[in-house]
Amino acid sequence: MLQYILAEHPFFVATGALYAAAAGFYAAAWRSTRAFVGRAATALLCAALAFNAGLIVERWIEAGRAPFKSLFESLVFFAFTTGVVYLAFERLYRTRVFGALAALLTLALLGYALGKWDAEIVKLPPALQSAWFVPHVVVYFVGYAAVSLAALLAAVQLLAPRVPLLQRLTTLRAGTILTGKALDLEQMTYELIRFGFVLLTVGLLVGSVWAKSAWGDFWVWDPKENWSLVTWLVYGAYLHLRKVRGWRGDRAAWLVLLGFAVVMFTYLGMSMLPTAEESAHVYTG
Amino acid sequence: MTDSPTRSTPRPAGAAEAPAVMEVRLTALLVTGALLAGALLQVWVPPGALTLVVASGIAGAVVLAVALLTPGRLRATIAGFRFTSTLLVALAVFAIIGTLVLQGKPAEFYRLRYGAAAPLILGLHLDDVFHGLPFAGLMALFGAAVIASAAQRWPLRARNAGFFLCHLGLITSLGGAAASAALSIRGRIDLHAGGETATHVRVTKAGMDTGGAAPLGFDLRLDRFDLVNYETEYRVGYYRQELVRDEHGTHKQWKLAASFDPDLAKHLLPGGDTFRLKAIWPDFTLQDQVTPVAAGGQPALEATLEGQTRWLLPGERLATPDGRAAVVFGWERPAAPPGVLTAFLVSGAERKVIVHTADGESEVALAEGLALAGGAVRLGALVPQAQRTRVPATASAEWKRPVVQLEAVRDGVPAEKTMAADRPEALFLDADHALVFERRDGEVKAFLSTVTATRGDESLRTVVAVNEPVTFAGWTLYQVNYNPQDPTYSGLEAVHDPGVAWVFAGFALISLGVAYMFYVEPRLKGRRRSQPGVPASPAQAA
Repeated sequence: MLQYILAEHPFFVATGALYAAAAGFYAAAWRSTRAFVGRAATALLCAALAFNAGLIVERWIEAGRAPFKSLFESLVFFAFTTGVVYLAFERLYRTRVFGALAALLTLALLGYALGKWDAEIVKLPPALQSAWFVPHVVVYFVGYAAVSLAALLAAVQLLAPRVPLLQRLTTLRAGTILTGKALDLEQMTYELIRFGFVLLTVGLLVGSVWAKSAWGDFWVWDPKENWSLVTWLVYGAYLHLRKVRGWRGDRAAWLVLLGFAVVMFTYLGMSMLPTAEESAHVYTG
Repeated sequence: MTDSPTRSTPRPAGAAEAPAVMEVRLTALLVTGALLAGALLQVWVPPGALTLVVASGIAGAVVLAVALLTPGRLRATIAGFRFTSTLLVALAVFAIIGTLVLQGKPAEFYRLRYGAAAPLILGLHLDDVFHGLPFAGLMALFGAAVIASAAQRWPLRARNAGFFLCHLGLITSLGGAAASAALSIRGRIDLHAGGETATHVRVTKAGMDTGGAAPLGFDLRLDRFDLVNYETEYRVGYYRQELVRDEHGTHKQWKLAASFDPDLAKHLLPGGDTFRLKAIWPDFTLQDQVTPVAAGGQPALEATLEGQTRWLLPGERLATPDGRAAVVFGWERPAAPPGVLTAFLVSGAERKVIVHTADGESEVALAEGLALAGGAVRLGALVPQAQRTRVPATASAEWKRPVVQLEAVRDGVPAEKTMAADRPEALFLDADHALVFERRDGEVKAFLSTVTATRGDESLRTVVAVNEPVTFAGWTLYQVNYNPQDPTYSGLEAVHDPGVAWVFAGFALISLGVAYMFYVEPRLKGRRRSQPGVPASPAQAA
C-alpha cells in the first residue's frame, strides 16, 4: 500500500515526511541549546502545514466539493487543524516543548488516513450540499484539534510525576521554552479546552441549524448528534467543576482525557453503536 | 458567583468541608430523587412530547420556587457549579442510552432485537428515553439550575454579561424546544406532477404515520419534478476479494480497492502490480485500414459520401442512409444498383466514374481527390493491390462508447484485454485481484420540486430542494423523497413549528454568551483589578 501511495500520491508522502522531520527537530530541541534547532522545527512544521493545505486544496479541486465527506478526507483535514492550532499555541505560549508530541499526533492522523484511503472520490449527496457544510466541519475540527492538544497536555500533566523525561520536559529551557518561565500545564489545558468548547458550541448549534434546513428538525436524537452533545456536556462539566474545590489537578486532567475519549468516539466510533444503522452521520470509508 | 468554594476564596478546612458535604448530599438527593420519581410515575404516565414539556415545566417551577423561597443551602446548591456539573453528566448518560437503544420503535421490534433485555427496556421506557419522566425530571432540575444561578449573580454588569447571555440563551432554547415539542405539527405530502392538489398533510410522529391529517390552510400543487444526476464518469477500478462477515457467515466479497482516471500513464496498484492503458477510444468504432501489398491483394478505393468514408473493395458500395445515392466500386464497370436514384459507378480498370441517374449517364475521369455532386461525393486513392483490415478507432472525442486497451503486469508477466465500459469485463490478475473499466453514473445530485402554493388571492410558485426549504402560510416544506421508478412523484415534508425561531435565537445567545464569558469577561475583570484601590480578590477585600 505504501509503495502505491508513494507512486500515485507523492504529495501525501511528502507531507508525512515533513511532519516526521518537524517532530524530530522538536525532539532535538529538547536537548539542543542552539536556537536554530527549534526554529528549524517550527519552519518544518510550517512547511508540512503548507503541504497539508495543498493536499486539501488539490482534493477540493479534484472532487469539485469541500473534501470533508469521507473519513480519509476528514483525517487529512484534522491533521491540518491540529498543526495549525499547535502553531498558534506555540506562538501564544512561546514554548516548543510540546511540538514533538503535536507533530507526532498529526503524523498519526495522516498514518490512520493512510489505512482509510478512499478507493474513489465519493459524490456529495443532496443533504450535504449546503452552505452550512464547510463552516460546520471547519469549526468542529478546529475545536477537535484544540481539545486533542489539551488532552496531550493533560496526559503530560498526569504522567510527569511518574515519568522523569516528561517531568524534565516541562522545566526545560534549551530552545523550547522561550519565556524562561515554568509552564502552567493546567492553565494551558484549561485555555485550550475553553477555546475548544466555544467552537464545539458553535459547531453543535450550526449543525442543528443545518439539520433543520435539510430534514426539517433541529434535533432528531441521531447517534452522532447525541454524542456531540455528550462531548459538549462533558467539557461543560469540566468547565463548571474547575470552580469546585478539589476538582483541579489530576481530577481535572482525567476529565479532560475523558472528554477526549468521548470526542474520539464521536468522531470514529459511531459505526460501533447498535443504532448506527439509524444514523445519517456514519462516515463512508 | 455561587456559594461554592473556589481557590480564590480560601477558608479554614473545616468551615469549607461542611457546606461542601451538604452540597454533595443535596445534589445526590435531588438528582436521584428526580430520576426515581420519574421512573415511578411513568408507570402511569407514558412518555411523549407533551409529557416531557408539561412534567419538566411543572417540576422545574416547583423546584425553583422551593429553592428561591427557602434560603440557605438548597438554593446555593441548585445555583452551584457542582449541581450543574452533576446534571450535565446525568444528561450525558441519557444521551448515551439513547444511542445504545434504538428509539421509538414498536414493542415487537425490541422483543425481536433485544431478547431477554426487551422487558427491561420497555418497562423503563428506554425505548423513548428522551420523552420519559426521568428525563423530564433532569430537564426540570436543569432549567431550575439555570434560572437559580442567574438569580444568584444578579445584577447584570458588563463583566458578567456573558454568563447572562448564555443562560438567557439556554432558557430561550429550552422554551423554544418545549413549544416545538408541544405545538409543532409534522407530516408528509405525496404529490405527482400535474396530479391532484394537496390540502392536508398526513401527520407523522418519529417518522411514522399516525393516521391523522392536518389542514395546510392552502392548496399545494406539484407542477414539475426534476431528478438531477451527476455526470457520468469512466474509471479503471481495481478490485480485490476481501473477507466479510455478515448474517450469512464469513465469505469473500469483491471490493473496490483503488480507482484511476482513464489516462495513458503507467499506474502502480496497491498490491505492487502495474497497469496502463495502451489505447483509449472515447467513441469506439471500427475503421477500415488499407495496406498496399505486392501480390495477393485486391483493388481498393477510398470513397466518401455525405461525410461517411470507407475503403471499398470490388463489388461493394457506400450508400446514403435513405438509399437514394450510392458509390459502387468494381474493377470492371459495375452495374447500377436497382432503386438507387443517383449511382456513382467507379471502374478501377477504366479509371472512370459513371454518374448514373434516371435522366441518363455521364462519365468523369477518376482522379484522387475528385469531388462530385457539389462535394457530397469525394473519391480518394485507388490502390490496385491492397489488403483491407478493420481497426479500432474513435468516431469523435466525446465519451459516448468508451473502450480501452488495458495492459497489466503481474510478477513481470503482462496480460492484455480490450474492455468496453458499457459491457464491463474484468482482467483478472489472479483469483482475488481484477481490473475493470467501468462507468459510474446513477448517483443523484439533486431532486427539485417546482410547486405552486395558493391561498385565496395569494400564490407562490417556487422550487423546493433538499437544504432549500420553502415557507408559506406558517408551514415550511422540505424535499425529502423521490421514487426512481416514478419520475413524476415527489415526497415533501411539511412542518409547522412555532418554537424553532426561539430555539435558534437561544442558540445565537448561547454562542455569543460563551465567547463573551471566556474572552471578554476575563479582560474586563483584569482591567478592574488593575485599577488602583480595587482589591485583586475577595479575600483581599475582606
